[in-house]
Amino acid sequence: MSGELHARDHASFLAEVHSFEFWFQSVEGYLASHPYGVTPGSELPALSGTERDALAATLSTYCVGEAAALDGASGLIGFAPNRAAKIFLATQAVDEARHLEVMLHRLAELGVDPHADYESRAHASLLAFRDRLMHFVAAKDWEAALFAQNVILESMEFAAFHSHMQTADPRTAEMLAGVLKDERRHMGFGENDLGRMLARSPATRQRLRAIRQELDVLVLSTFEDSLRELGTPASERPEVGRLYLETVARLGFER
Amino acid sequence: MTDPLLETPEFDPASGAEGDTGADTGASEDDKTRPRRRYVIEDDTGFDEVPRKYRRFYRRWAGSRDALAPNEVLCPVCRVVIRSARELRPGDRVYCMPCMSRLTVVVGEGGRLEARVEY
Amino acid sequence: MADFLNAYSIQTWLESCPQGYLQDTEYGHAAGLKEPALILENPTLREEAIGTTVQLVVGERAALAASSGLINAAPDHASKRFLATQTLDEARHVEIFTQRLYDLGVKKDELEDTIARHANPHLVRFAEILLEKVDKGDFVAGVVGQNIVLEGLAFSVFEMMQASNVELNPKFAQTLSGTIADERRHVGFGENRIGSLVRQHPEKKPEIERMQKEMAYHMLATFADRFRGQAATLEESRRITQAAGEGSPTRRVWHGTDLASAAPEELEAVLAGTVLAEFKTRLGRIGLDYQTPDRP
Repeated sequence: MSGELHARDHASFLAEVHSFEFWFQSVEGYLASHPYGVTPGSELPALSGTERDALAATLSTYCVGEAAALDGASGLIGFAPNRAAKIFLATQAVDEARHLEVMLHRLAELGVDPHADYESRAHASLLAFRDRLMHFVAAKDWEAALFAQNVILESMEFAAFHSHMQTADPRTAEMLAGVLKDERRHMGFGENDLGRMLARSPATRQRLRAIRQELDVLVLSTFEDSLRELGTPASERPEVGRLYLETVARLGFER
Repeated sequence: MTDPLLETPEFDPASGAEGDTGADTGASEDDKTRPRRRYVIEDDTGFDEVPRKYRRFYRRWAGSRDALAPNEVLCPVCRVVIRSARELRPGDRVYCMPCMSRLTVVVGEGGRLEARVEY
Repeated sequence: MADFLNAYSIQTWLESCPQGYLQDTEYGHAAGLKEPALILENPTLREEAIGTTVQLVVGERAALAASSGLINAAPDHASKRFLATQTLDEARHVEIFTQRLYDLGVKKDELEDTIARHANPHLVRFAEILLEKVDKGDFVAGVVGQNIVLEGLAFSVFEMMQASNVELNPKFAQTLSGTIADERRHVGFGENRIGSLVRQHPEKKPEIERMQKEMAYHMLATFADRFRGQAATLEESRRITQAAGEGSPTRRVWHGTDLASAAPEELEAVLAGTVLAEFKTRLGRIGLDYQTPDRP
């Protein structure tokens, strides 16, 4: 085939990747025939009581993150600067809702009542992060909310899920793999939208740098707590935060 | 049905298109004169995160020991390998559909080709 | 409540919508279908089609803003998850009706001007009333306004338009069929979820009923503008279509009215009557008293 995708112009590329049609054809590849993000009929892994409790606590923290992302993405739609961004964020909202649903489903498989209050099992630093995110959304602060949601929270989730997949039981790993595929879109949208905005308005960088410093403490502490819970050796933990740190560095928010 | 977005056989990635910065990408004199190799890229990678018609342009990255072909470059945003129908050279523009990024190929540390995000 | 909401899960939505009736579609219709040449080539028909489609875009933009805004106000996660699917449904509707404007020849840089020129001011006010409730985080009023009033309106309008276009314009009729399938879920959620909340918050009933009356008035005024106010254009469009041999003599009956031959005021009456009767029935089922709107 002679066609070259990379030859197209940027505007048409962005119009396509932000559309419902793109989302629709993309998720078909990995969600079709995978109810709740897993292969039907695959065996439920046998976990010890300790492993089960640790996984339940970690998934509870993930649920808080996904619920925050659902509230955040849907809230952003109301003040997104253009139609393409609104439509993209609508696809993100449904992705986040799906993540919450598959994680609650996995919790139910572990014997945890999915309707019980998972927040009580989640880390305090993530709850504090969520409150800050929702503050930005309520204030209709596009730059700060998008930065907190699609750069910081999504990068954090991407790194955490990717690391967790390496040690997770096969069923949890398969579920997380599907979630990660969605997160690529979300992270990419946030980084690229903010990157374009910062190129036009360098003054915004200073403000976002201050927000980053405030939220960094919460992000890195959530990483630390989750990884300790999952038994990740201390020597490997800095590696997990690397992706997040690289992303903010690309945007010019080095410390 | 042909897809006009894919039917651009005369495309030269280094021909000064939008986003082609050229200046600090590290292209050598040799690169500028030697003809490019062309590649037939098949939908054989199992990559399933973009619409079917675009899947052949991407593959999963297998980690730091994954040797990239001359028509491949790693997306720094989402860690997916981007594939082109031509040998890639510094200054070329590529798109990463899974994370919606536009990138420019540059020479990284150690002389390896890398992609830099162009916002 | 939880068991009922399981039917509105993301998984059910994925299987029924993207992996169900939208499978193998592009912008809501079979690949390759185009707007009829007659519409594209005749300025009167094209302008009429653009005017109609703009109202759909305006309505769907309001629905997108409302459904996404309600997620934060939802009292439980199951409702949030359902509203996320509705948000994406509405975003899809915005996209497919916007695409129809492009298919009708509207240029991308003229889109907002075209919408501003054709948007009916009463429909804009209808949306504003709803979004005022959403902005206040009033979940009960917001869901009644969105999923009973707005969706009830959309459901009947789409059904009527689908019946009119099934032979004349299969592309548009298919697009509408998918949106009708989506609206079924939305009105179902509105009725099933909100009934219990209305019982828990009886003090909210008067305010919600006032909202319904006001929204219904602006809906009727929109209908009046579209049918009576543009009767000459509608008649002319019908004459052109029939002269081209594409609109006659097949009867297209909807709620007892032949859409191919009824006068504009008859079309307005059957649409308004159908929507208002639906409002009355649905509101009654969730424990609200239907308020008869003033007639424009």
